[in-house]
Amino acid sequence: MNRYWRLVLLAPALVVLAIAAAQVILAMPAFGHPLSQYGTTVNALAPVLRNVSNMVAAVNFDVRAIDTLGEESMLICAVTATVILLRGRRGEDMTECAGKLHGREWLERSDATVLMCRLMATTLFLYGAYVILHGTITPGGGFQGGAIAASSFVLIYLGEGYSVSRDLLHSEVLAAVEGLGGLVFALAAMVPLAFGYAAAQNVLPLGNWKDLYSGGTMVVVNAAVGVAVIGSFGVLLVEFLEETRAPRPGDEDDETREEGA
Amino acid sequence: MNVLAWCVAAWLLGVGIYGIVTSRHYVHLIGCMTVCQSATYVLLLGIGFRWGAGAPIFYDHPPGTPAVDPVMQALVLTDIVVSASMTALLLAIALQVHKRRCTLDPQHLRPLRPRE
Repeated sequence: MNRYWRLVLLAPALVVLAIAAAQVILAMPAFGHPLSQYGTTVNALAPVLRNVSNMVAAVNFDVRAIDTLGEESMLICAVTATVILLRGRRGEDMTECAGKLHGREWLERSDATVLMCRLMATTLFLYGAYVILHGTITPGGGFQGGAIAASSFVLIYLGEGYSVSRDLLHSEVLAAVEGLGGLVFALAAMVPLAFGYAAAQNVLPLGNWKDLYSGGTMVVVNAAVGVAVIGSFGVLLVEFLEETRAPRPGDEDDETREEGA
Repeated sequence: MNVLAWCVAAWLLGVGIYGIVTSRHYVHLIGCMTVCQSATYVLLLGIGFRWGAGAPIFYDHPPGTPAVDPVMQALVLTDIVVSASMTALLLAIALQVHKRRCTLDPQHLRPLRPRE
């Protein structure tokens, strides 16, 4: 099927989609006046019953904790599949030098880049940890803070180069951190079952409103999610970086990369 | 004004599908897929929005002040996490396809062809 026939098939599909979308748009409730009783109830009750001030965290880590456990498992599964696909027949061994294309000039990093990356990487990691820890109080939480903290790994690569970032970021350690986060979340959901509560029920003392420790089990789950996200994104970064390494005889058989040796 | 948010969501889905259908490169196709997915962010946030309401964080303003729907915001968060991990997975598949076939043009790829 060439480009022309694809467009010919697309046209009726888009017409059908437009008609269906118009029907749905006309039937939607008025914009700006939500009807959801669920959200209103959470807004009214979570500050009183759970002592937390971030309602989004209350929904994610308490009201819908089982859903978030499923989401977390999906994240870990997707990362595992990505790692398996990228490793392929390359295996688990690592090298310490990146690939280089013939004819491309190799530029020295400027001192300003190195300095800024060192400063920003530490600051960014601390800021990510801050966002994770204050997940139940202010905007943020495990997913957002984990992504912020993990982006400091990219700055380490940018500032220090391939080999130093390989020494600092070990794939095994990051994978273990990811698994630890998933395990703690699963335990936080399962352990209440052993004591006769519902799964993922909030059993820890709730703490005080606006306090760093507020929300009971939510604090544990939030930290576990943050740790797991840091590990996942770190593993992804290391595996995608490994794709740029210089090929060695025996582990690559594609023509496109041989010139990089 | 009442239907603008829903129209934006439908338009994003439409242009994303157009990009996927006419794509000549898998990485571009993955980008178009995330455009489709951003239609769901607009839709969910539009459903949860409320005129004159603040963020559902009761830190500066006391509980009881009007706030937007936190359930929709939590769903968008889930959506973004799914989108990020799926993008990584699809990019890994694109890398492997490029290693084996030396092209990423969907037009030149035939499914289940034995390796040459």
